[in-house]
Amino acid sequence: MAGSTSTVGSGRTPASAGRASSPASRRPGPGRAILRYTALAILALLFVSPLVFMLVTSFKSRVEAAGVPPTWIPHPFTTQAYSSILGASGTPVLRWFVNSMIAAAANSGLVVATAAMAAYPLARMEFKGKKIVFSAIIATLFVPPVILVIPNYLIVGKLLWLDTLIAVIVPTAASAFGVFFLRQFFLQLPRELEEAAVLDGANRWQTFLKVILPLSKPALVTLALLAFLTNWNDFLWPVYVLFSPEAQTLPAGLSTLQSANSVRYDLLMAGAVIASVPVLAMYVFAQRFIIEGVSRSGVKG
Amino acid sequence: MSEHLYPSSLTRRGFFALGGGATAAALLAACGGGKSATDAAQGAATPSGTFSAGYDGPKVTLSYWNGFTGGDGPFMKQLVAQFQKENPKIAVQSNTIEWAQYYQRLPAAVTAGKGPDVGAMHLDQLATNAARKVIVPIDDVAKALGLSETDFTPEVWQAGIYKGARYGIPLDVHSLAMYYNTDQFAKAKVEGAPKDAASLQDAMDKLKAAGIATPFWMPTRWPAHLMFLSLLWQNEGEPYAADGSKATFDSDAGVKALSWMRDTVTKGYSPANVAIDSQYVAFKNQKLAVTWDGIWQINDLNAAKIPYELAPVPVIGTTNAVWANSHNFYLTKQASQDPNRLQAAKVFIDWISKKSAEWAGAGMVPARKSVRETDAVKQSKQGPIAAEIAQLKFLPPVPGLGDVQAQTLEIAVANAILGKQEPAAALKDAASKATKLMQANQKKFGA
Amino acid sequence: MASSQTTSGTVPGRRATSSDGVAAAAPGSSATRRTSWRGGATPWLFMAPYLVLFVGFVVAPVVYGLWISLHDYDYTLPGKPWVGLDNYAKLFSSDSTTAGPFWQGMRATGIFTLFSVPLLLAVPLAVALLMNSKFKARNLFRALYFAPYVLGVAVVASLWRFLLDTNIGLVNQYLGAIGLPDSIPWLTSTPEAWVALIGVTVWWTLGFNAVIYLAGLQDIPAELYEAAKVDGANAWQRFMNVTLPGMRPVLSFVTMVTIIASANMFGQAYLMTRGAPGTETRTAIYTITETGLRNFQMGDAAAMSYILTLFLMLLSVVVFWLFRERSA
Repeated sequence: MAGSTSTVGSGRTPASAGRASSPASRRPGPGRAILRYTALAILALLFVSPLVFMLVTSFKSRVEAAGVPPTWIPHPFTTQAYSSILGASGTPVLRWFVNSMIAAAANSGLVVATAAMAAYPLARMEFKGKKIVFSAIIATLFVPPVILVIPNYLIVGKLLWLDTLIAVIVPTAASAFGVFFLRQFFLQLPRELEEAAVLDGANRWQTFLKVILPLSKPALVTLALLAFLTNWNDFLWPVYVLFSPEAQTLPAGLSTLQSANSVRYDLLMAGAVIASVPVLAMYVFAQRFIIEGVSRSGVKG
Repeated sequence: MSEHLYPSSLTRRGFFALGGGATAAALLAACGGGKSATDAAQGAATPSGTFSAGYDGPKVTLSYWNGFTGGDGPFMKQLVAQFQKENPKIAVQSNTIEWAQYYQRLPAAVTAGKGPDVGAMHLDQLATNAARKVIVPIDDVAKALGLSETDFTPEVWQAGIYKGARYGIPLDVHSLAMYYNTDQFAKAKVEGAPKDAASLQDAMDKLKAAGIATPFWMPTRWPAHLMFLSLLWQNEGEPYAADGSKATFDSDAGVKALSWMRDTVTKGYSPANVAIDSQYVAFKNQKLAVTWDGIWQINDLNAAKIPYELAPVPVIGTTNAVWANSHNFYLTKQASQDPNRLQAAKVFIDWISKKSAEWAGAGMVPARKSVRETDAVKQSKQGPIAAEIAQLKFLPPVPGLGDVQAQTLEIAVANAILGKQEPAAALKDAASKATKLMQANQKKFGA
Repeated sequence: MASSQTTSGTVPGRRATSSDGVAAAAPGSSATRRTSWRGGATPWLFMAPYLVLFVGFVVAPVVYGLWISLHDYDYTLPGKPWVGLDNYAKLFSSDSTTAGPFWQGMRATGIFTLFSVPLLLAVPLAVALLMNSKFKARNLFRALYFAPYVLGVAVVASLWRFLLDTNIGLVNQYLGAIGLPDSIPWLTSTPEAWVALIGVTVWWTLGFNAVIYLAGLQDIPAELYEAAKVDGANAWQRFMNVTLPGMRPVLSFVTMVTIIASANMFGQAYLMTRGAPGTETRTAIYTITETGLRNFQMGDAAAMSYILTLFLMLLSVVVFWLFRERSA
């Protein structure tokens, strides 16, 4: 149990132990392995070929990108689409990239911080009104986000946040999903450590910071990544609240490069690559946390 | 033609008879209808004849919004850069947004006071944005610039008027045109562009015989409804009552137009189920010989390096007509509240509109007659379209019409071409729904 | 409200179904008594930052939205006349302009949800089972399956619109090459368009559900499988009697999240089919967005949203009832 304080480390051990002894992999015969890899490879091909197509198209010339039938190897290979996206005056793509990074990072930080603080008493404390607060938060999960757009637009306008990044950071930070998700996770945590901390004279805030948060790192990383992704890809809301070219986020900005009536697949795909490579890299880095974040095994053992 | 479009526009025609007369501004302010007293006062307060070609106030920055994101973008950028060089005291901050987003964002931005001072929008959006008070009347600007109907064409000039006040100064007109693949035409021994239903049919048959199985793909979405509108006008129908009270596109003319489009599929000239943009991409790949699309595609097709030519849309009905739209300059309240900014905006509009020969490079037909009739424009790829400017038809200035059309007419056209519904039934359903929506809009916008 | 209580009520259920079941619950609840601070400002101080955001940007807008739904509301116009419950009544009157599109949209959303949710539950589960073991390049495969999820909907839709084009798309071309019909109208006709929309959605979001399943699978103690084997259960029986029951809490979570996501489908239809043919694939959110954000009939759009919300809440009650029933 003592080991659990260092969470991630100890958290992984029982999980991998479970994995090692899980039925499918216990004694993988060679036939089974071949079958598995064949299935995985076919699935992977289905999954990845559209993405490869996207990458390939981003290196095609304007004409070839809309060519029929589409080709799998660009001929000629050109980075023209990238240079015309990155070089276009009046469309500061790098600025949009930075804006998106700032907005998504700040938003996901805010989501995680506020949701964790709210989830803690909902998981661990008894107080009057708890049920009502929690029910109200859960109920809003069912409200289609589109209904919030206009009222929030008017509210953000009153706060003079329009055309600033705050408008895409703050209003979407009240995550009902986040509170629900973290509360679930906190409920699974062993209480003994908290009790030990309390005996050592820690107050609730210190317990939260020193015991709960370190134990919850996988869940927090998972939520942070999901919030980051949502904010990174959000399109409808930024279009409404950001007006000037230098205030745009990446998806809203990149869409202005698209002409209404002519199809520029080369630009579109190059834009998509620019927008998705950073998040994909982030996922590869964070994926081990995600598996643990949703799993309770790490902390149960 | 104008009588046909505006059966009840006695006042308007009366006004045009006055031309740029001294009473015009006052008259307009008076018949501004729903305009508030302040608006009217503003209109009248601007002294007439103050316009000079230059600007010599303090340095100002104009926020200029447009939707020229395609092949037209570089031409506009170049014009703006040149303008700034010649007018060092006016800095122009361009904000280029794809049109669909543009119209969604504009009211929000203007309401928040973060919108443009001056901008360009489509003619058929002027009334909607005027009704929403996103843009302001600019009769005084037109007058100060010395512009009148004779500088343009009656159709485009009149469609910029909503409730007796002018809201737009036309920059260009752009219509549907017929693009055809010259190699395939040569191969099939079709000589010249088809001019009517019979010669189009003849060309189709020859093209089929020459091995092009489906020479003319009928789109189901954009620009299918624009093709329909052109054919409806060609059959001497009108899509909407000019006063915006009802939809009339389900007339016999409409049924004829839509049936012809559907027949193109059933007779095997077009494949079924042409998806969004498919016909255009296929044309660029020389999979088909004929397509109707906007003249703004010229640059894109030039870049695709395919052998093509463009010609006016053939006359399938009984009269020559084709759908058209126009980019118009407008002003917002933001600009009109500051005299320096207003003057700067006027200088900007005047300058760009006079330089619109360069704008022809963007594939458009300049709206100003003086520019349109220059050799540069006549010899451009769109020259044949420019010559037919009298045949261009515009939607009436009815607020909210674009959205009504998207919900009704466009769906009916798609359904009929896909063979999901008979043309007559599709149009009838859509028209009765459109009429309801238009009447609701009349109430809403206080027509 | 009833439904949300159900939601919170299911939460302990999650723990109860875990392997150590009742045993774990008992010390847990006694601990609650021991370490709980009753009353006081502490819980509220913890929740304060969240509640400020929640009240300001969720509760207030929801109430504001209700208020809007009682008006003929167009924020760009000065007059926003009060119409009472008219906007709602219009949705239930056959000759209004909003009822037709709205119920058509609800129908589309219903079809999409009905067919996409089972697939979005089953396919990722299969993928998770396939990956729930140690093998070479496992992390690579996991990243590959998750990869589409990082793309924005605009990219996903444009990419597939190009690939699925009836006459010039790669998909039909490949189908033709292996002797299958090569002129399937993926984007312009139903039910083909539904197949396309659902298929693309599965491709796009499969990774998210699979990752959550994977975590749940690793939770099931190996001893249970051993015991089942000793009892002579075959692979299918082990799946039915060990894996599925062990996954129930995760399943109920994934089901709920997936239903909410499917019921909010908009971007795929908007960008891939434009609701084609006609308006068959216009979902409820599509209709609401068009009505409220394009036509600025915000009163009507708000009324539609609340009816949709009501449906979703009812559905959630059904879902939780279903999952409870079986665990009892």
